[in-house]
Amino acid sequence: MTSSQTTVSLEHVTKRFAEFTAVNDLSLAVRAGRIYGLIGPNGAGKTTTIRMIVNITAPDSGAIQLFGQQMNAGSQDRIGYLPEERGLYRKMRISDQLLFFAELKDFKGRTAKDAVDRWLERMKLVEWKNKKVEALSKGMQQKIQFIAAVIHDPDLLILDEPFSGLDPINMELLKGIVLEFKAAGKTIIFSTHLMELAEKICDDICLINRSQKVLEGSLRDVKRSFGRTSVALRAEGGDGVLDDRSIVASVKRQSDEVEALLAEGVDPQIVLKLLLESGARITKFELVEPTLHDIFIEKLSEGT
Amino acid sequence: MKKLLTIIKREYLTRVNSKAFIFSTILGPIIMLAFMVVPVLIAMMETGEVTRLAIVDQTGRIFDRVRDSIINEASEGSDPSLPGGLPMDMSQSPEERARQAGMAMKGDIKIEKVAPAGRPLEDLKRELNERVRRKELDGYIVIPPDVLTGKKAEYYGRNVGDFMNSIQIEEGLSRAVNEQRLADTGVDQNLLREMSKRVTLDTFKVSEETEEQDSGEAFFLVLGVGLLIFIMILMYGGTVLSAVMEEKETRIAEILFSSVRPFPLMLGKLVGVSLVALTQFAIWGLLIGGLSIYGVATLKGQGMDLQIPSVSAANVVYFVLFFLIGFFMYASIYAVIGSIVRTYDESQGFLLVAIVPLILSFYLVFPVVRSPESTIAFWASIFPLSSPVIMPVRIISQTLPFWQIGLSLLIGFGTVILLTWLAARIYRIGMLMYGKRATIPEVWRWVRES
Repeated sequence: MTSSQTTVSLEHVTKRFAEFTAVNDLSLAVRAGRIYGLIGPNGAGKTTTIRMIVNITAPDSGAIQLFGQQMNAGSQDRIGYLPEERGLYRKMRISDQLLFFAELKDFKGRTAKDAVDRWLERMKLVEWKNKKVEALSKGMQQKIQFIAAVIHDPDLLILDEPFSGLDPINMELLKGIVLEFKAAGKTIIFSTHLMELAEKICDDICLINRSQKVLEGSLRDVKRSFGRTSVALRAEGGDGVLDDRSIVASVKRQSDEVEALLAEGVDPQIVLKLLLESGARITKFELVEPTLHDIFIEKLSEGT
Repeated sequence: MKKLLTIIKREYLTRVNSKAFIFSTILGPIIMLAFMVVPVLIAMMETGEVTRLAIVDQTGRIFDRVRDSIINEASEGSDPSLPGGLPMDMSQSPEERARQAGMAMKGDIKIEKVAPAGRPLEDLKRELNERVRRKELDGYIVIPPDVLTGKKAEYYGRNVGDFMNSIQIEEGLSRAVNEQRLADTGVDQNLLREMSKRVTLDTFKVSEETEEQDSGEAFFLVLGVGLLIFIMILMYGGTVLSAVMEEKETRIAEILFSSVRPFPLMLGKLVGVSLVALTQFAIWGLLIGGLSIYGVATLKGQGMDLQIPSVSAANVVYFVLFFLIGFFMYASIYAVIGSIVRTYDESQGFLLVAIVPLILSFYLVFPVVRSPESTIAFWASIFPLSSPVIMPVRIISQTLPFWQIGLSLLIGFGTVILLTWLAARIYRIGMLMYGKRATIPEVWRWVRES
């Protein structure tokens, strides 16, 4: 698979529930071998979009292609899906349960059994193999759920809020696995409303708000095209400059630092000059890239 | 449909391997046995003791005959001239059944003679009443001097409501009186007994090829098909329901639907749970079947004449088919209910409504038996909700053209598939719009929309 290939493409996809439009005229392309972040606030239409991709529900209009083909039930087997709504059979033993989910993806026999052992080992859950799910802690169940999504070695991995409720150690563990999948040439769709996380892990992002696409592209392009500059500033005085909305669009005050998002078209050099002229004592003045969070907030407030 | 097999396998194995299944399989027959044996034991306890009767014979010459006759009446159970077969043979008159039931319990009867010896009847009665009150006697019979010319005899007892006893006494008394009357005309006693033997009726159904004997047992077998469906639904309907709701409550539905379409999922659940039910019934069936063959063989060995209901092989196949269709029919209705409701509690109201058509079908059985060729009988045996109960009844009570049976089976099968499809559809859409419970118009809209 080369990176120019498209694993998933949506063209003018619309989905309505009664009077409510969940997804409106959405087009997007997920490139093979990359991590694609589907980001947006709760209720934006992320989950509905994913459900259409995994063939749980069909779009009212528009077309969806998977692996270059018209979507069909057979392509479901090549997808691994970790839904936001987690759930396991409480009374079923871990190994039986994982084999069942694997078999539903047409992955069975000796290789499936070996895969179960390997993954349980990897997740440090070997001693729980023959226990029932109800004996497991929430975090362990989360990891079992993750195994269920990856056990059949899917070509496309779809993770809906995968790290919610995990401790940092397990979060790093899962993140490592996701990056391994990427290294193996698999495609990953990653849905979250946590911007910091998306920023760290995604190659491409798509921002959805109110059932519509707001922006799409590689993380670098998105940041560049945002056309704004942020300044990390540590200074005494100079408040007059920071409060001038024609120069500084917004100010975020941290403990002893200020992060100032400059207004469109404002040169940071001018800001530095104005600050010095206002008599401020500057101990830090650093240009920083806008965070995804900034872009997110800015784009969403544009819409209202 | 490989995935269908995966679903069936999981539904079946997780249930059959559960402790609940093993316990209920073992406990089921024990509880059933207890239900059957305990009432009999209780009844035996009461009649097991000796019934003590006294007879005041004012005629002075009929006592021996009455005593023999009543005792005979009580022990005639082993009389081979009586119709054999099932203990509860509904083809007989109620008195006959009561008599047989009475005999089955075989209480010993001790009868003593009270000679009037010139004392006034009032004195004797006072004395006997006193003995009854002291529980030395259970009752006494006063035979008037002119009993042979039609005067009524009188029975005084501690428990006049014990109709087993009073029927035995009445039968015995009238037989004795009849014999006495005939003996008075000079008829030989043995000849008399021979002549007064009861007549039993064997019924035959005329079909195209042969005439089959049909002694009522077959009819019960047919009702058994309906009853079996009913019992199975009562026992396993809840299991079907909770199986359908399992993924909803544990939120597994979404991950399942990303691998398998809703219809195979729903069908897999239905088949899986049904196989569990059939497994349990097969275990019990083999147990009961084995025991009854052993029982029949033993009784035959003792010279009892027992008949095993004679039903042709083709009919057995039909019964099994209608039983399966009937079970799947009502199970799929439960699946539809499970797909609509959110919690088990919400389903309670629906459950009762669901089996109303099944109960109504039983009410239809008797009109259908009386006139199996009527229009109502025809439609009741075609209509899917009643056909599993009614069609077997028609098959046994009349000779049907094959197309009617075939049509009925086909419609039944189609209905099961349709209901399963409906359940799958409602389930999937309901899952996508969780929150409140669906109203009926909403459900209807879901079904129409994709």
